[in-house]
Amino acid sequence: MQFKDYYQILGVSRDASAEAIKKAFRKLARKYHPDVSKEPDAEARMREVNEAYAVLADTEKRAAYDQLGHDYHAGQDFRPPPDWDAGFEFTGRGFSGAESAEFSDFFSQLFGRMGGQGGGFRARGEDHHAKILLDLEVAYRGGKRAITLRVPRQDAQGRVALADHTLNVRIPKGVHAGQVIRLAGQGAPGVGGAPAGDLYLEVHFEPHRRYRVEDRDVYATLPVTPWEAALGATVKAPVPDGAVEVRIPAGSRSGGKLRLRRRGIPGEPPGDLYLVLEIHTPPADTPRARELYETMASELAFDPRQHQGG
Amino acid sequence: MSDELEALLLERAALTLEELAAGCCVEVEWVVARVQAEVLHDKPPPDPALWSFSGRDLLRLRRIRALERDFDASPELAALVADLVEELDRLRVRLSRAGLAAD
Repeated sequence: MQFKDYYQILGVSRDASAEAIKKAFRKLARKYHPDVSKEPDAEARMREVNEAYAVLADTEKRAAYDQLGHDYHAGQDFRPPPDWDAGFEFTGRGFSGAESAEFSDFFSQLFGRMGGQGGGFRARGEDHHAKILLDLEVAYRGGKRAITLRVPRQDAQGRVALADHTLNVRIPKGVHAGQVIRLAGQGAPGVGGAPAGDLYLEVHFEPHRRYRVEDRDVYATLPVTPWEAALGATVKAPVPDGAVEVRIPAGSRSGGKLRLRRRGIPGEPPGDLYLVLEIHTPPADTPRARELYETMASELAFDPRQHQGG
Repeated sequence: MSDELEALLLERAALTLEELAAGCCVEVEWVVARVQAEVLHDKPPPDPALWSFSGRDLLRLRRIRALERDFDASPELAALVADLVEELDRLRVRLSRAGLAAD
């Protein structure tokens, strides 16, 4: 396990005041806020910044960390000596146990002792949260997914380390991005016989080569020929739950949308599927093709720029 | 691997006040104060015993809690930031729908 230099992460000196630490944290929290940051590794950096702040903003944790870490530097191989934390009592400050579970092994080994497990104490386990990336096809059909999460596990000495935990989950059909699904009893274990917390998963979709999703509505591009658009045609179009025959009305334009009611993501009400027409022209790469284009050029009075002025 | 688990979709009125508070790792009183400050999109009935919440409410309140904690923001300012982030998300989805990347 590598030593983490929390002062370096926040960019403050070891004798920085609580106010200076708070100021440095806020600056970085703004820079790496996952919702708006353009930094490529914003989410990982924000987790690291939160972890450093959870330690340095807490008087007890900071004192214990300072006592332990004054001879170490970032990246150095590190094992906490036995009873290094004797005399300190760590309590949560700002970040819940479930949130701290997202921190590093280094943090878990140092500060991961679970409090409040004495006799007679009874408390429901904390809820855990995670994001899950699903394929659009799961939204249409439902399906099984194996989800691996890093969860804190306590050893016989009461120390906590992160371990992989795989859940085999049946996802109901009708999920869509931004929605939350709940796995009852899959959060942190309860204390003193109380029930475990729940696990909440925030749904996101893997980017799809062909489909774009907005709430329950699904959008796809449908390539058509100029004569299908001009004369109308019935064509076969792949859709997420199979394929459909769609009628292209005569006189359709590029960018025009065909709505297939209730063929979006299932639900109450189901979404719609929109096929956006994209007219593709054949290449003039044979004498016959050139001849056809020349016939059109001479016989069709068509100027797509006539309303542009100039 | 464990046995197969059923996942429950959280639609409207899926969470009680107590479940929402537990999901945000806060006390019930914290949620009551935020709901009464009207930081959620839907205005609930006056009696908290009749309140119910969606999965989206859970995500929004967790975001508001993190903003309040990280920046010592007031609930109203945190709600304003949450509004802007949600609007940003909507616009990114529309850009993607139009086949454009959000840079």
